Amino acid sequence: MHRLLYIGLLSLSIFLSIHCQTAYALDLFKLKEKVGVGKEAVKAARPMSEEEEYYVGRAVAARILSIYPILDNKKLTEYVNSIGQLLVMNSDKPFTYGGYHFALLNSDEINAFACPGGTILITKGMVHAVQSEDELAAVLAHEIAHVSHRDGVNAISKSRWTQVVTLVGTNTAKNYSPQVLSQLVGLFEGAIDDIFKTLVVNGYGQSQEYQADEAAMSYLSKAGYNPSALKDFLSRLVSQGEGAASGGGVLKTHPATVDRVKNITKKMPSTKVEASQVQLRNQRFQAALK
Amino acid sequence: MRRFFIGLLGIVFMPVFAYADTVTVIVKENAIRESCKFFAPVKAAVRAGNVLEVLSQEGDWFQVRFNNIQGCIHKSAIEKKSVSLTDKLLGPQKQSVTGDEVALAGKGFNPQVEEAYKKKNPGMNYQAVDSIEGYKIPEDKIQEFAAGGKLNPPR
Repeated sequence: MHRLLYIGLLSLSIFLSIHCQTAYALDLFKLKEKVGVGKEAVKAARPMSEEEEYYVGRAVAARILSIYPILDNKKLTEYVNSIGQLLVMNSDKPFTYGGYHFALLNSDEINAFACPGGTILITKGMVHAVQSEDELAAVLAHEIAHVSHRDGVNAISKSRWTQVVTLVGTNTAKNYSPQVLSQLVGLFEGAIDDIFKTLVVNGYGQSQEYQADEAAMSYLSKAGYNPSALKDFLSRLVSQGEGAASGGGVLKTHPATVDRVKNITKKMPSTKVEASQVQLRNQRFQAALK
Repeated sequence: MRRFFIGLLGIVFMPVFAYADTVTVIVKENAIRESCKFFAPVKAAVRAGNVLEVLSQEGDWFQVRFNNIQGCIHKSAIEKKSVSLTDKLLGPQKQSVTGDEVALAGKGFNPQVEEAYKKKNPGMNYQAVDSIEGYKIPEDKIQEFAAGGKLNPPR
């Protein structure tokens, strides 16, 4: 009798131990979903790690910065970074491997780029195209959402990423041999090309843009900014004829800006913001531009 | 007889007690804070790979212990990992989930790949990237900025 009871309880003990391991596996998966690992990335052989995303993002930023020079304006840089960091803390993913960084590009183009990992570049033209701090925050929030959703790394061709995983999977060395390194650098270059083409030439797809807009409104609302500032800005661009879908850049997306405005209108949060507060922020926006 | 049953209960519940939750820091650097909110005073700095013991969870924050220091860290800075009895007795088991940040640390696209890429593509402006990453605004300035614009303090 005792022996049977003992065996039964021992079996239960083993079951609980196995269950704990399963719970770990599920926890890890759930946590990855919570912190924003994109569904597309999960579908691949394995998702790109946060650390890998950081190095990819640095390379994408280095490529963009080889085309657009940085705007050397300390006051405006601090202002943009202050808005950006506040929004980041209200985002789905406040911490990335290397953190979020915001910089201004000395270009009259109306554009902004979210590099994987968290470096966000915004042109001088964009800062002058927005008409208030809340609108500037809306543009930054949209870019933060692209980082949080890992839209950049999801632009990497699946077959290219599978090659990386296969190559790395069989290699246990801390430092890669010259042959493996050469192959990895080739794949790295290809990955940067994939992202660059999406960010600068073709733009993101409809679902990515809609999701980034919806997340942006949530970040704005949580931070205390007016979420309708995103709609105000995009609507103005549409009325000025700058919102047609025709290739790359932040405003030349698929869908066209006019369709984004329609989607934003449908998904607008019911947050109410006092006009006096918006006015207060506009005063410092004007001061930062001087 | 009583001793026998106490012994049996010990066997049954041992795996549950041995199931100590730990988390690993997956960002380059972060902080353990006095309370579970942004801008709370920093009690300890942590780096990628540091293993923290989980005490509890409060929303998006975890109460953790590291080097006898107790405090909070945000969920996006860590990866959760629980140590089971079998791990403790037999050593870590094979990962059942791909994409484990800890297992992948330093693999794939890493500093060695970046260095080789830089040499092959000298026109890429990494100097500007380093300068952007080096720019930081002190937390008290961000707090002042939020208050000055009547914005909500992040939680």
